[in-house]
Amino acid sequence: MKQTKTYLHNPGYLKIDLMLKGIRVDKEVLKKANMDKCRNLFDVACGIDVILPHNTWVTVPYIEDFTKDSPYELMERDGRFFITHGDESVQVSVVPTPEFYTLKTTTGIQLSRIGLVHGGYVAITPATQCDFFNKAIECRYCAGNLDIYSNKGRVYSVEDVLETVEAAYKEGKAEIVYISIGFSDTPDGGIEFLKPYIQAIKKHFNTLVAVEALPPKENRWVDETYAVGADSVLYNLEIFNPKLFDEICPGRATLIGRERYLDALRYATTIFPNGTVASHLIVGLEPIESTMSGIDYFTNIGVVPILPIYRPSLGAKLSQYKMPATKDIAPLYGHLYRAVTANKINTTWVRDISIVTTPLEGRFFVGDEARMKTWMQNFYKSRLGLKAAWSLATLRRKLKVKVGESSAHRDK
Amino acid sequence: MRIEIDRRPIWLIIILRSFRPIFFLTIGLIFFYLINLPTPDGLTIQGQRAIALFTVCLILWVTGMLPLAITSLLAIVTVPLLGILDKKETYALFGNEAVFFILGAFILSGAVMHSGLSGRIALAIMNRFGGTPKGLLASIFLLASALSFFMSEHAVAAMLFPIVLDIAKGLNLRPGRSNYAKSLFLALAWGCIIGGVATFLGGARVPLAVGMLKEATGITIDFLEYTVIVFPTVVMLLVIGYLGLTRFFPPDIEDMHLAKTVFERKMKEMGKIGYLEYAVGAVMAATILFWLFFGRSLGIANIAIVSVVGLFILKLVRWKDIEEYVNWGIILMYGGAITLGAAMEKSGAAAWMANAAIGNGISSPLVVIAIFSLLTILLTEGMSNAAVIAILLPVGIGMASRFNMEPRLITYAIAVPAGLAFCFPMSTPANAIAVSSGYITTKDMAKAGIVMMILAWLVFNLTARFYWPIIGIRL
Ligand code: SF4
Repeated sequence: MKQTKTYLHNPGYLKIDLMLKGIRVDKEVLKKANMDKCRNLFDVACGIDVILPHNTWVTVPYIEDFTKDSPYELMERDGRFFITHGDESVQVSVVPTPEFYTLKTTTGIQLSRIGLVHGGYVAITPATQCDFFNKAIECRYCAGNLDIYSNKGRVYSVEDVLETVEAAYKEGKAEIVYISIGFSDTPDGGIEFLKPYIQAIKKHFNTLVAVEALPPKENRWVDETYAVGADSVLYNLEIFNPKLFDEICPGRATLIGRERYLDALRYATTIFPNGTVASHLIVGLEPIESTMSGIDYFTNIGVVPILPIYRPSLGAKLSQYKMPATKDIAPLYGHLYRAVTANKINTTWVRDISIVTTPLEGRFFVGDEARMKTWMQNFYKSRLGLKAAWSLATLRRKLKVKVGESSAHRDK
Repeated sequence: MRIEIDRRPIWLIIILRSFRPIFFLTIGLIFFYLINLPTPDGLTIQGQRAIALFTVCLILWVTGMLPLAITSLLAIVTVPLLGILDKKETYALFGNEAVFFILGAFILSGAVMHSGLSGRIALAIMNRFGGTPKGLLASIFLLASALSFFMSEHAVAAMLFPIVLDIAKGLNLRPGRSNYAKSLFLALAWGCIIGGVATFLGGARVPLAVGMLKEATGITIDFLEYTVIVFPTVVMLLVIGYLGLTRFFPPDIEDMHLAKTVFERKMKEMGKIGYLEYAVGAVMAATILFWLFFGRSLGIANIAIVSVVGLFILKLVRWKDIEEYVNWGIILMYGGAITLGAAMEKSGAAAWMANAAIGNGISSPLVVIAIFSLLTILLTEGMSNAAVIAILLPVGIGMASRFNMEPRLITYAIAVPAGLAFCFPMSTPANAIAVSSGYITTKDMAKAGIVMMILAWLVFNLTARFYWPIIGIRL
C-alpha cells in the first residue's frame, strides 16, 4: 500500500479517520450524489455512505458542526467521486440514500423510522423503548437516539416491519436484516418480543437475520433465538472493564450483570455458527489495554468483538468525553484482526458495516492481504454466495433444532 | 413447545442424519441384487422374489427403521407387484381369521378395562391376599398372570401398574433401593409375560402364528388345544418365577398395614359394583366359554366379533371408549406378516430356505424345536415378538415340511418362546412399564431376567420332550 503522510491510501485508517472527523461536502456534490433528500428526513441520523477502496464501507458524518474542520472533502469530477486531503485524493463511490427512506407504510409511517441501511445491512428497530431512561440508569453515552422520549412505547407492527424489509429488499439493501431491541425487562432478553418479527421476515424473504438482544436469564432463550430464525446474535457488553462497565452502563450492570453477558455469549457460541456471535466494545470509553483484554477474552471464547468508536452525542451524560485519535486506537484493529485469525473465527459474517470497522478490515492495520478471507467474503456477497449462505444457514438450523413437546405437556 | 439445539458438530449430525437415506438405499440395492441373482436349483422365480422381499422385511422388522405396520403394508403391496401371488389372493389373506380375532380381542379387553371390572377384581384379590409381604407379592404375580390369560398382557400391565405404584409409594419403599419394590414391579412384568403365553388372548402373537400356519398349510390350532399344550409350561414358570422373585429380592419389609390403606382408599373410590361391570363380565365369560368349547366349530374370530356386536347392541360400550384400546398398527402388522408368510410358503421359498439353512444335518424334531425355541427366545429379547414370529415361522414351517414334521410343533416352538421376553425394557411393554416406575433398574431386570430366560427355555423343551407325548402329540 502507498505510504503517504495522509491516511487516504489505507482504507482501514481512512475509515476510522473519516468516522472521527467527518467530511465537508458541497451542496451541489451532495445533489449529484443523490444524498440531498436525506436532509429532509428529520429522524435519520444522516451520514454519507461511501465505499472506499477494497470495498470498505463507511458512514461519514457531514452535517454535524465538527465536520466543518475536517481535512477531508468530498469532490465530484465527471460523475466520479473523490475524497481529498490537501492535494491528495482517492476515488470512492457514494451510496445514494435508499429510495425507500421517503416511502411510507400503509399505516402512514415513514419507512426510515423503522429501518435504516448501514452498508450491507438494514437495521430494524421494531420498538423504540428503553426503560433505563425512566429509572435513570441509562447507558451514560446514550442520547436516547432510539427516539425514546418523543415516541415512548412506540411499537411497530409486524406488517409495518415487513413492508420496510420488503422495500429495502427490493432495492437490494437487505442482504442481512439486523433486528434489535432496546432494553427489555423480560427474562427472555427480548426474544419473545422479536420472535414474530423474525419469523415473519424469515417466512417472506430469503435473507439472513442478525438479532441484537439482551442476554436472557436462562440459556434456553438463546436456543429459542436460534430456533426462531436468528442467524447471528449480538449481546453488546459495550465496556469490558468491570468497574467502568458498572459506571457507564448502570442499567445493564444492575439488571443483567457483566457475568451474565459473558456466560450468555459463551453459551451462544455453542449454538450459533462460528463467527456469528458478536458483542460491541466501545472504543474510547475505557483504556485501550482494557479493550484489548476484551478482544482477547471474546475471541478466546469464539465471540467476534465489534469495535464502534465513541462519538459524544448531544444530550448524553458523557457528551463532554474527548474523542479518541485515530493513531491511538489504530493498534486495536490490528490486534482484533490477529486475535480473530489466531482463534480461527470466521470473518465473513460481520462484514460491510459502514458504522464500525469489521475484523477483516483489521487487515489494513497489519499489512496482511488476507486473500482467501477476502475472496470468501466477496463470494458471500455475490448473488450465488448470498443464496449459498442462506441455504446453508437454513439447512444447519433444520439439522440442529429439535422441537418437542414441553415436559408439562408430556406429563398430561 | 420444548426446543433443543443439537450441540454436536454439524458433520456428525449430517453423518447420523444421512444414515437413514443410506440405509434405505442399501436395502433397495440388496433387494435389487437378490432379485437379479440367477435362480438357484430347486427354487422358483416366485420363490426367489419372495425370499428377496422377506429379506427386506426381516431387516426392516429387526431394525425398526419403519413402523412394523408400515413394513407389513409394504410386504402386502409388493407380493402381488412381484407376481408372487395374485392381487386377489394377497388381499384376501389380510382378511384372515386371526386378524379379526385380534380385533375382537382388543375390543373385548378394552370393554372390560373401560367398565372398571378388571381393576376391581385386581384390588379385591390384592386386598384379600396382600396381608403379608409374600402374600401381596404372590397375589400381584398370579393376578397379573391370570388376567393375562384373558386380556392382552400389555393392557394388564398398564392397568395394574398404577395400583402397584401406589402400593410402593404407600409403603414408603425407596426407588432403586428397596428389594421388595423391585420384586413387586418384576412380579407385575413377569406375571404378565408368563400369563400372556397361556392362551390366545394374552398377546396377539399366538393368533398371528396360528393364522400364518393356517394360511400356509391349512392346519388349525384351536383355543383349547393350544392352552392344554402350553399350560404345564405356564404353571412351572409361575412356580419358578415366584421362587426367583423371592430369592433374587428377599422382602425387606414386614409391616403391610400401609398397603391395606391404599387398597381401601382405592376401593372406596370405585364405589359398589354396577350393572355395566356385571354385564361386561357376563359377555366376557360367555365369550371365553364359547372359545373353549365351540372354538373349532364356530371359529374363534366369529365368536369374538359376535361378542363385540353384542356389547354394542346392549350399549355396554361406545366406539369412542374403545378406540384407544384397538391397536390398529398391530392389526396391520399381523395382516402383512400372514400375507408374507403365505407367500413364502406357497412359492416354495420357505421349504427351500429351510433346506439351504439346515440341509440334512438334523434328524430329530426335538433338536429342531430346541434350535427354534432358542433362536426365538433370544431374538424376542431385542425385537418385537410379532416380528420374531413373522421372521422365523415361515422358515420353521418350511423346515417342518422338509423333515416331515408336524408343522404345529414348530408353531408352538416359536409362538410360545416369542412371548417369554424377561430381560430388557425394550423386550416387551410389560418390562418397560415396570422399569418406568423408577423402582427397578434395567440392570436388576436383566440380571434376574437372564436366569429366568434360560430356565424358561429349559422348561419349554422339557415339556415338549416329556409332556407332549403324554397328550398324544407325536414328535
Ligand atoms: S440500552 Fe443503553 S444504549 Fe440502548 S437505548 Fe437503552 S440506554 Fe441507550
